[in-house]
Amino acid sequence: MRDILRISVPLTIWLASFSAVYGLEGLVCSDRWAQAGRGALLMAWAAAIVLQIVLLLALRSTRFASPSGFVRGVSLALAGVALVATAWTLLPVAVTSLCL
Amino acid sequence: MLAGATAIFLFVMALLVLAFLRGPAPASDEADEGREKVWIVGLGLGFSLTVLAALLAYGLIVGERLLPRPGPEVVTVRAEGRQWKWSFGYADAPGRVTEGILHIPAGRPVDVEITSADVIHSFWVPRLAGKLDAIPGYVNVLRIEAWTPGDYAGVSSEYNGPGYKDHVFTVRAHDEDGWIAFLSGEEP
Amino acid sequence: MSALRRHRALTRIWASDPGWKGWFTTVNHTDLGRMFLLVAVTFFVIGGILAMLIRAQLATPRSAFMGPDIYNQVFTMHGTIMMFLFAIPLFEGLAVYLLPKLLGTRDLAFPRLTAYGFWCYVFGGSLLIFSLVAGIAPDSGWFMYPPLSSEIASPGINTDFWLLGITFVEISAICAAVEITVTVLRYRTPGMSLPQMPIFAWYALVTAVMILTGFPPLILGSILLELERAFGMPFFQADHGGDSLLWQHLFWLFGHPEVYIIFLPAAGVVSTILPVMARTTLLGYGWVVAAAVTLGVLSFGLWVHHMFTTGIPHMGLAFFSAASTLVAVPTGVQVFAWIGTIWKGSPQLRLPMMWILAFFVTFVIGGLTGVMVAVVPFDWQAHDTHFIVAHLHYVLVGGFVFPMLAALYYWMPHVTGRKRFFKLGETAFWLIALGFHVTFLAVHWVGLLGQRRRIHTYDEGQGWEVINLIASIGGFVTAIGFALVIVDVAVNAAVAIRGSRDPWRAGTLEWAMPTPPPAYNFASLPLIGSRNPLYEDPDLPVRLARGEGYLGDPSRDRRETLTLEIASGKPAYLVIFPKNTALPVVMAFVTGGIFVGMLLKLYWLVPLAASGVAALVARWVWVLGSRHDEGPQEVGQGLALPLATEVADPPGWWGSLVLLLGNATFFGSLLFGYAFLWTVAPNWPPPGYLQPDLLGPVLLLAGIALSMAGIRLADRRLRRGTGPWLGLLLGLAGAGAVGVAAASLLLGTSHDAHAYDATVWVIGGYVLFHAGLTGAMTIFLALRAAAGYVSGSRIGEVQIVRLWIDYTAAVALLGLGVSWLPGVLT
Repeated sequence: MRDILRISVPLTIWLASFSAVYGLEGLVCSDRWAQAGRGALLMAWAAAIVLQIVLLLALRSTRFASPSGFVRGVSLALAGVALVATAWTLLPVAVTSLCL
Repeated sequence: MLAGATAIFLFVMALLVLAFLRGPAPASDEADEGREKVWIVGLGLGFSLTVLAALLAYGLIVGERLLPRPGPEVVTVRAEGRQWKWSFGYADAPGRVTEGILHIPAGRPVDVEITSADVIHSFWVPRLAGKLDAIPGYVNVLRIEAWTPGDYAGVSSEYNGPGYKDHVFTVRAHDEDGWIAFLSGEEP
Repeated sequence: MSALRRHRALTRIWASDPGWKGWFTTVNHTDLGRMFLLVAVTFFVIGGILAMLIRAQLATPRSAFMGPDIYNQVFTMHGTIMMFLFAIPLFEGLAVYLLPKLLGTRDLAFPRLTAYGFWCYVFGGSLLIFSLVAGIAPDSGWFMYPPLSSEIASPGINTDFWLLGITFVEISAICAAVEITVTVLRYRTPGMSLPQMPIFAWYALVTAVMILTGFPPLILGSILLELERAFGMPFFQADHGGDSLLWQHLFWLFGHPEVYIIFLPAAGVVSTILPVMARTTLLGYGWVVAAAVTLGVLSFGLWVHHMFTTGIPHMGLAFFSAASTLVAVPTGVQVFAWIGTIWKGSPQLRLPMMWILAFFVTFVIGGLTGVMVAVVPFDWQAHDTHFIVAHLHYVLVGGFVFPMLAALYYWMPHVTGRKRFFKLGETAFWLIALGFHVTFLAVHWVGLLGQRRRIHTYDEGQGWEVINLIASIGGFVTAIGFALVIVDVAVNAAVAIRGSRDPWRAGTLEWAMPTPPPAYNFASLPLIGSRNPLYEDPDLPVRLARGEGYLGDPSRDRRETLTLEIASGKPAYLVIFPKNTALPVVMAFVTGGIFVGMLLKLYWLVPLAASGVAALVARWVWVLGSRHDEGPQEVGQGLALPLATEVADPPGWWGSLVLLLGNATFFGSLLFGYAFLWTVAPNWPPPGYLQPDLLGPVLLLAGIALSMAGIRLADRRLRRGTGPWLGLLLGLAGAGAVGVAAASLLLGTSHDAHAYDATVWVIGGYVLFHAGLTGAMTIFLALRAAAGYVSGSRIGEVQIVRLWIDYTAAVALLGLGVSWLPGVLT
């Protein structure tokens, strides 16, 4: 069960942060809500990246790494993928126009 | 984009054909490790990521350029879809409504405020811009611009029931005089 | 005991009932897998005929062959049948047939559930086909956008057939997903640790988890739309605070993962067959596993790319454009791993390999056009034209149907035990491959020229006539090819000669049994130490038949198999499977009563059928278990294992855990819908929010505390050897209190006033249902304890109920909390 978690958690967290930032963007652009602006989005993006780095380091550490070499390899690859995905898919918060 | 896609396709197919033509390869774990580096890290990760990053950047830049930014030149019109008609209103001529023909000035950016009275439709004039949906309860804004006066064919492009095929309209771009005449109430 | 006597004894234990009765009482995965595949192919033929009608209609301009009324039903049903009644069930059938054999076990984790899922599929699919034959089929397109599919624009029964029929069929997808997940995690042959699993099992696991998390949004959407149509709850009506875009979000939250749910099993098939055809092993096994998992998760972050033209701000679109380009990377990794595999082996051009090559050509093109439409400005032009139609056919036919044809020809000797004699398959290959490309290259082209999808005909003079005619001719050639495949299979299954046991010289365990496979799969279960056990030990099949593995002794006269610890591959406990029974088909039939009652607006039938299902479920569970401890059981090789009834995590616990994952996604989708409406829907805020009094929250918290403490008390007292009664009574009271708190939501709002009220109704109803469910489970547990099935050592059922109670506590707290929140804030 732990090995399944090691494999699935990083990308699941990517999905959660991706959806959360998309939702936050909806909130920021909704006229029903105070304009929080781009700052909130950028901070959320940075927080998501930090979280992924922490996960990646944790999966390398002796405390949380899997005893099985195969699972360790796959989980590290996937943590790397999740980090890249977080940086890549949320990049638009920095470069595109906000609510057009 | 089409040329790039064709090139990648031919590249992959060439690799596939070569795989069949070459003879048996050495089988060992070290050889496999080398192959993983070439095929998976090099081609699978490196090649794909490079091409896709370039494509994404291109798409975002073009997308940004097409957005309806405010400006002094911008003319605002309104399009309302219903099963199976389009009616159009004009910010510069309040109360004026046309059916089936949208009048715009040529050579000026036009913002079309699109909405729907019943089901979802989509406003598409292929020669002027991409499509944008007409959704009940929403007003979506599409930026179009016609360089030369004339008629441009428009269609609904979101399936909306039995009358879908013939749910079409025309965009008529006027020169400057024609546009002033239209606004002052003359039927051109 | 000789191999033949063992075979006879095991066959007597495991075989389905003889004759026609066996069709309805079988719970055997080989039989049910074949039945699944047969029914799926039948639906494929129906969907294919509809495709030919479409191409006949579009072959010429101003065609008078069909009017829009008929044409709209035809294209809607073509898409619906191919997606829901063919592609997903074909994967289920393949997995049901193949997985236990690949994993070296004797059946899937829950044999009766396999049968129940199968019958739900057959009955639900029949509802849809009935509507087609009766001319009242759904006609709003296969993605059913409201308001076109709402009461206002589609007042007839057509849409209801879709919403109810598809939901009925989805029960089978969820059943299969639970089954596959638990089977891959726990039901493998000893020694098969995670890195020793056949690659197809990884793909099946990822796909099953995706079904569990991808289908609930669609099921929720269908239920909401049906509630709107039947009872006027305005979830999708802008005038009353609803939003038609909510449907699009829910639908594509399902619909995009769906594409990968279809593709991943096919990729699993390619990863299995290709190395055998190239006489080598798969390059980069670990990378391919990682790519499959990545694809599975990334595909949940793409859904908005079907909605690029709905007016979402550019930044929102950019997120999904970025994710859509990124998803091409794991696909690329797999494609290059496959080409690298061919490169390192010595490929042989046999028929399955030819289909894999057709897959490569087609799928790479489909993937590249997919990347093109992921670019937002291009999609603004291409969206809803025939370019998209061509793209999706390249991906689905190239990425699913062609690999499945490879699978058909690869495993046909396994199913029939015969060798192909008449070589019609090669002719069929060329007809289909060439016909397909002629058709859909032309469709790409006409799409770029601006032909919209779903128009029932077109006028002359737009330059589309010749292209459409070419596409139609190609389509008919393809259809002839498919007909030839069916003839080929039928002829070769009937008359050809017996083949050898392992005709492809493959290394995986499904070839370590006689073909056609016996009902029990393996006479004894092997201990394995590699991914291709047959390469290590070519004599393995003979040794297994001689009973030189685990569970080779049939003298206990019951259906036995082993489970493992998930990661290590060490044997954990012994499972005894249920016998043949008609319970699944009866329960599926009664379940149908719920859907037919809704469809025909015979609302009295719905609670009646639901109670029937509840009674049958009680019966279903009651017949399992034992009233006395049997202790460790000999399983061969000097090993003794406890029975599943005497462990704390029996299969039912794992099944519940996996089902709750799907259930949580359902509830999460509901909360997403609530938040979505609150954030962006027009005509908010509602006239008034629900104002909670003090009683509701107090009841809720007390109920949660009581039910959670109660089941724990019962657990502890059972383990100490005393009666669980006080704990169960407290648990029942707790469930009652939670139920009353949930009911206060229903009483405080009127369901059809505003989308807010309607949503609160559904949340309240969901919590109420779960409170009722845990209450019923608690009563059931008390009866089981009274009858002697539950004791300090047979504690598994208590753990299952505890899991459901904890889940209910969580959703009650969350659901009622967010329902009361706006009222508290304002």
